[in-house]
Amino acid sequence: MRRLLDRLYAAALWLAAITFALIAVLVLAQILGRLTDRVARLLELPPPGLTIPSLAEFGAFLFTGAVFLGLAGTLQAGSHVRVKLLIRSLPEAVARWLGALVCLGAAGLAVFATWSSGLQVADSIAFDSVSYGMIPIPLAIPQGVMTAGLALFTVALVDSAVTLATGGQPGFDAAETRTERGD
Amino acid sequence: LPVAAQSWDMPTPYGDSVFHTQNIMEFVADIEEATDLEITVHSAGSLYAHPEIKDSVRRGLAPMGEVLMSRLANEDPIFAVDSIPFLASSYEEGRALWEASRPMVEEKLAAQGLTLLFAVPWPGQSIYTQEPIESAADLEGASFRAYNAATERLAQLMGAVPTQIETGDIPTAFSTGRVDAMITSPSTGVSSQAWDFTSHYTDTQAWLPKNMVIVNSRALDGLDEATREAIMSAAAEAETRGWEMSAAETAAKMATLEENGMTISDPSETLSGELAEIGETMTAEWLDEAGDEGQQVVDAYEAKMSDM
Amino acid sequence: MEIATLAPILLVVLFGALALGLWVGFALIAVGLVAMILAAPAPAELVFATKVWGGLSVWGLTALPMFIWMGEILVRSRLSSDMFSGLAPFTARLPGKLLHVNVLACGLFAAVSGSSAATTATIGRMSLPELKARGYDERMAIGSLAGAGTFGFLIPPSIILIVYGAATEQSIARLFLAGVLPGALLAALFIGWIMIWSLMNAERMPEAEPPTDRREALRAMSRLLPVVGLIVAVIGSIYLGIASPTEAAVIGVTGALILAGATGALSWAGLADSLRAATVTTCMIAFILAGASFLTVAMGYTGIPRELARMIGEMGLSQYQLLAMLTVFFIVMGMFLDGISIVVLTVSIFLPMVTAAGIDPIWFGIFLVLVVEMSQITPPVGFNLFVIQTITGRDIFAVARYAIPFFLLLVLATAILSVFPGIALWLPSTMMSR
Ligand code: NA
Ligand code: NA
Repeated sequence: MRRLLDRLYAAALWLAAITFALIAVLVLAQILGRLTDRVARLLELPPPGLTIPSLAEFGAFLFTGAVFLGLAGTLQAGSHVRVKLLIRSLPEAVARWLGALVCLGAAGLAVFATWSSGLQVADSIAFDSVSYGMIPIPLAIPQGVMTAGLALFTVALVDSAVTLATGGQPGFDAAETRTERGD
Repeated sequence: LPVAAQSWDMPTPYGDSVFHTQNIMEFVADIEEATDLEITVHSAGSLYAHPEIKDSVRRGLAPMGEVLMSRLANEDPIFAVDSIPFLASSYEEGRALWEASRPMVEEKLAAQGLTLLFAVPWPGQSIYTQEPIESAADLEGASFRAYNAATERLAQLMGAVPTQIETGDIPTAFSTGRVDAMITSPSTGVSSQAWDFTSHYTDTQAWLPKNMVIVNSRALDGLDEATREAIMSAAAEAETRGWEMSAAETAAKMATLEENGMTISDPSETLSGELAEIGETMTAEWLDEAGDEGQQVVDAYEAKMSDM
Repeated sequence: MEIATLAPILLVVLFGALALGLWVGFALIAVGLVAMILAAPAPAELVFATKVWGGLSVWGLTALPMFIWMGEILVRSRLSSDMFSGLAPFTARLPGKLLHVNVLACGLFAAVSGSSAATTATIGRMSLPELKARGYDERMAIGSLAGAGTFGFLIPPSIILIVYGAATEQSIARLFLAGVLPGALLAALFIGWIMIWSLMNAERMPEAEPPTDRREALRAMSRLLPVVGLIVAVIGSIYLGIASPTEAAVIGVTGALILAGATGALSWAGLADSLRAATVTTCMIAFILAGASFLTVAMGYTGIPRELARMIGEMGLSQYQLLAMLTVFFIVMGMFLDGISIVVLTVSIFLPMVTAAGIDPIWFGIFLVLVVEMSQITPPVGFNLFVIQTITGRDIFAVARYAIPFFLLLVLATAILSVFPGIALWLPSTMMSR
């Protein structure tokens, strides 16, 4: 179970990373298309007009999808920012239980976020909502990715709460300690 | 318990200095004077940004809102009828087209649980360039700003290269040569101070896109009848006032463009001919998409125009 | 609910959630949720996703992961440490030495990036480890980065000026030009402070690097070339019309990859690692942005910012009094909301007030940028603080403490700009027709 979950967070994070790289590739193609047009004009040839239609919209959707897919992995990497002044000053046992409660609270908020996002997908399907640009993209697709990412984030937070309550060290805690030591 | 006065939030996309927003402010003031309803206008996308407004009203997050009609073109081609270049390119024609298309637009919105209150056009869309244009040949191979399927097609038919430029990026794009021409209203030309980066305005008035004010039908039905009637009569007044404001805006903003050193010119005979031809092509293409419903609208429009 | 009751409740929720160690993004969501439940007519469960989706699916944000990735590649390929060796001979005689790197590099980088978070993340990832390794005072290194990172908004291109220009119908081209000299003024103030501080705290400065002869200095300088070339390429791609400011970030990534590849300094594992690090940082920032979008719409419904703005409007203040009052208002609001949200929520109330007081709207845009920059480094909600906590592991409150002198310099710059409005207005008036 432990290994399965860790692999799931890592896989989603890599999917996010690859999506960001994909945005870079698409933008680069767009720039090269523009350069080609410019060279063609210099040579007094008709510019081929190579562009990626709806890139701005498409890129924005890829960005949003990637962000949500990466949330769980970012938690495990200890990179979500929080203030640890109080936790650090408490005795270890108290800090552990407080930590577990905070994880549960965060999980509760994440359930709200997932639920909200799921409702949005349901409405987008019911409304047949599509994007505004040249290529009508059904909004339910990127919004569905957002929902899935939030659901995985919820799982990771519950996972962390359970780990803390059963005496273990969640991934984010270990990672935060490493950063604070300056590794 | 006494019933508290209802208070509504109304998101709108444009800033306070835009005449559409000013018209809405008057519309809201009229309602507030006649009823107990309080309406807070959240202009310039400060509550919901333009892409979010329609679904926000539909889902009941805000009872009332304003949206550019042709933003909904991908949902149904009917919403794009006011953005077909050169189908209706004056206030008179725009008015006739709106009368012809309004029932269909209302019907489509009603199917989404939305009630149309009123619609007001932007001034006609004209071409901004750095060099004068005598004919479409002058735009051959030029980068032409396209922001939706219709403007992309227009650019192609003029022989230009459609180019996507975000609104905030327009000045940079012109001054660095990423774009050579755009088509927009004199209002937007003035608000973006187009004379900073272009010098020629060719007054094509290619189409008059409309902003429409919509209300969630359930929210509307939840009001008492007197309030509903007050809203409807304020809406009718706002539509009349808005069209007058729009026409006055066209003249005033073109004068501002000229004062700031832009050359204003009517399209040459050659260009007019070419543009009319493009208009026919694009109307035919739109009809392919919009089918019988589209044909009904165009027939009704042509009937109105021949009566004039 | 009355604002006088609601506002204290929200503050308690925010500080309580943060103190308990809840992640910042969740703390913002919690405050937004409480505000929606207590004071908004709309259903929170529908508003949340609408606003978060709308707030994040914005094309301009795609530059964020790109610039951060560029920085991560440079760090791993040792190009950034080469850059520091290359800069050392130049700064050897200047009081403060390499401490100036944050200011200079952020100033340069701000010319390509429209966002302060991206500027801070990219430069900080490269400069902080280097400064630490060379024995510079950590507090000063962090403070100057937090301060200079805010250049991203002032020096064009700037996300915040685009937002302001769109909301108020002001020319974005003019706003961009107006930001240039105030940006230079701010950089000069920061540099001046670093010089004074280092003269006063000589014992906290590292020992001088060994003197270099001319040939070594030349060799060191040549190490600067790759990174300088990269920055020139990115800026050049914008001004030659090859790329939009958003797209230019990808030129940065591509250039960094080419450089790293050409010098054989980056392995496949390093490449993957750099992409993963950029992803994690982007997700961190974006999650807080998501919380901030939800809190912003909740604030829009509660009307707190509008009400406060209206109260200021009813005070009948003179021009300088109004500006002083607005500065205080923005500093206080900026502690809790992100700067762009404050501008969006209040500008339509402030602008008529400001123009009635005879203040130029272009000038006011620059004023807003300065106060928004302050909000980037004031706790508990300040994006530069979050970015630096991620890089260094230092708590946001500690980072904010180190940044206090730079915060005060921002206030000073605002005062100077109020007395000499020409600093902002001269350039647009000369460069533009009319
Ligand atoms: Na910038
Ligand atoms: Na702050």
